[in-house]
Order: sequence, then C-alpha cells, then structure tokens
Amino acid sequence: MISFHVLFPVAVVAGFVGAMSGMGGGIILIPALTLLGVSIKHAIAISILSVIATSSGSASAYVRDHITNLKVGMFLEMFTIVGALAGAAITLAISARPLYIAFGAVLLGSWLALLIVGHETWQAVTQQDPISRWLELEGSYPDLTLGQTIHYKARRAYIGAPLMFGAGMIAGLLGIGAGAVKVLIHDLVMGLPPKVSTTTSNLIIGVTALAGTSVYLAAGLISPGLAAPIILGVVLGAFLGTRLLVRLSNHSVRRFFLFILLILSVEMIIRGIRGA
Amino acid sequence: MTNLSHPSFADPAVEQSRQRQMDVLVGYILLSGVVLSLALISAGLFWKFLQTGRLRLDYQVAGMNLFEFVTSEIRLAVQGQMRPRLLVNMGIAILMLTPFLRVLASMVYFFAVSKNWKYTLFTLFVLMVLTRSLFLR
Repeated sequence: MISFHVLFPVAVVAGFVGAMSGMGGGIILIPALTLLGVSIKHAIAISILSVIATSSGSASAYVRDHITNLKVGMFLEMFTIVGALAGAAITLAISARPLYIAFGAVLLGSWLALLIVGHETWQAVTQQDPISRWLELEGSYPDLTLGQTIHYKARRAYIGAPLMFGAGMIAGLLGIGAGAVKVLIHDLVMGLPPKVSTTTSNLIIGVTALAGTSVYLAAGLISPGLAAPIILGVVLGAFLGTRLLVRLSNHSVRRFFLFILLILSVEMIIRGIRGA
Repeated sequence: MTNLSHPSFADPAVEQSRQRQMDVLVGYILLSGVVLSLALISAGLFWKFLQTGRLRLDYQVAGMNLFEFVTSEIRLAVQGQMRPRLLVNMGIAILMLTPFLRVLASMVYFFAVSKNWKYTLFTLFVLMVLTRSLFLR
C-alpha cells in the first residue's frame, strides 16, 4: 500500500488540473497511480470515485455563480449514465493493455480536438432547431471577464445526445470525467459558450461518475484505503482550481491543458504497446 | 396564456429568479455532501493515526453495493467493534449519494416548482437508472 504522503500530493495536483479544465482529476491521477504500481483497473475505479468529488466540489461553486445550465445538464445526463454503465462493464471484461492504449488514444483525441477548437471564438447560435427549442435548451450567465450577461441558445441536441452516450461510455470505461469530450460536444455540436460548456459538463460528470463507480464498487475494485487520501487531495486541488477558473480567460485555460494532455497521452500509449 | 393559480408563472423574470434559487440549492447540496464526506474520511484517517501512529488504511472490500458497504460496518459498530473504516466507508457512501441527491432535488424542482413535466420525466429516468446501479451486486 502506497503511503499518504505520496498519494495526497499526487491527488492535489490531479484535482487542481481536473477542475481548471473541467475534465475531472482522472487524466493525471490514473497515469500517476499506475506509475506508483496500482493496477490500471483499480486506478480507474478509484479515479472515477474521486471524479464524483472533484466534479461535485467545483460544480457547487459554478452552479452558485449561475454559469451552469441545469436543463442542458439533465437532458444530457440521461445519455451519459447509460453510457457509463456500459463502459464500466467493458472495463471489467477486458485486459489491461487495451485500457492503456484506449486511455492514451482518448487523451490524444482530446488534445487534437482542443487544439482545433482553441483557435475559434464562440459564435452565438441564432437559429435554434425545433428539437432543441422543445427541450428548452437556452440560458444566460454573467461573464466576469466581459462584465456583462451573455444570452445563448443551444442547437442540435439530437446529435449531442447520442454523442454524450459515447462520452459517458469513455468515462465509465477509463474512469475519467471525459470532460474534454463533453466540452467538445457542447462547443462544436451544440454551440454553447465555452464557460457554460465547461461548467455544465462538470455537473454531468458527477452523475456519470456515480453510475460508473457503482459498477466498480460492485466488482470490489474500490479500495477505501487507497480512496481516502486520494479523495481528500483531489478535492483540495479542485477547490483551488475552481477559484482560478472564474477569473482566467478561456484562452489561457486551454493552452495550459493542451500541453499536459499531449505528454500524458503519448506516455500511456507507449506503456500500452510495451505492455508495462 | 395566463395561469390563474400561478399568475406569475409565465413571467420570465420570476422563472429566472426561481432557477437561480435552484442553482443556489443545488450548489449547497453538492457542497455539503462533499464537505461531510471529507470530514468523515478525514476523521477516519485521523482516528487510524491515533490508533497506529500511521496515516495508512490497509483495507480493500469485496464486491458489494453501496448499502452493504455501509451496513457491514454499522453492524460491527453495533456489536461494539467500531473502527476507523466505519467513518471512511460512510464518507465514501455520502460522496456517492451527493450527485444522487442533486438529481433528486432537481426532480422536485422541475415537478413542484417549475411544473415542467418534460424535465420531471428526464430527471426521473436519471434517478431510476442511478437507483438501479446503486443496488448492483
């Protein structure tokens, strides 16, 4: 068993990065835990449990800042939770090496996607399709950087929904919040403003992670001895990260994560291929 | 279109202010769930530290659902064998119940306050799937 003074700081860093990106702490936590000698399935299980904490902790602040869109969140959660249950069931069934490669590939995909999206500025949706209108997917939020209230509408919920099933599946499969994937769907497909998409994805992540965690708990992969210090560290890190997000511009947040994502994805793919 | 029993219901400003109150409630549910969970886990770790002089918990659990996870320790505590892991397990269980409670609160809001049948059904579906998954074994 790894000691508290190793697990705790690792978890603090993971929580910090996870909250700032809206991706959950898993992207740092899982590679770090496997490097410390934890099996990848245990790492995935602990990570998705800690993702509940990261997500709930930071979502509590975002929600009270009125940035999160509860309806968008509730609608998409219907799809992510079913995906998460399926994803976690797959993880229980397969061996470790494909999990490493899948983990690296998802991170690399997120990296590529964020790189592309990062150069675009948000364009408000003017024409809403009938389905998204029926689903009442719209809202407004106070933007502290611009000093004004932004009104927005979401579109193409009918494409976003099945894609969110996939995002939920990735979350359950790999024990990550898969926030980057969710943010991407919100941004590119549904046309939500970046801050709304990051914070709403954070809300969705908590419920999605709960579905995944239940499967891992039932499988005996949640080790409380490992979970305790990690949850404490992750929440402390997330708390610090959240306080920073509201003040930072979208651009600087993205650039920081692109760098971290790239390194981690390459590292995980190499380990999957080598079989370490 | 006016609704006599709720004359202000169609007013977007009222709707928005209710939504904001809901945001605040959801925020507090999430915050208290996480804080309570952390407090219990920290207390469990600290207790273990007092017992053994080390901040280390060496235990794993066999596959079980959330309720067995907590009741197994409560049963021991009732028999006078209360141990740090009771607090840690309860902390983890409360953490898992936090998003669940959040969804429950959202459903009550959509059903009773904003009377939005569409979103009441959506949240009900989410709640049912989550409930089922918490009883997985």
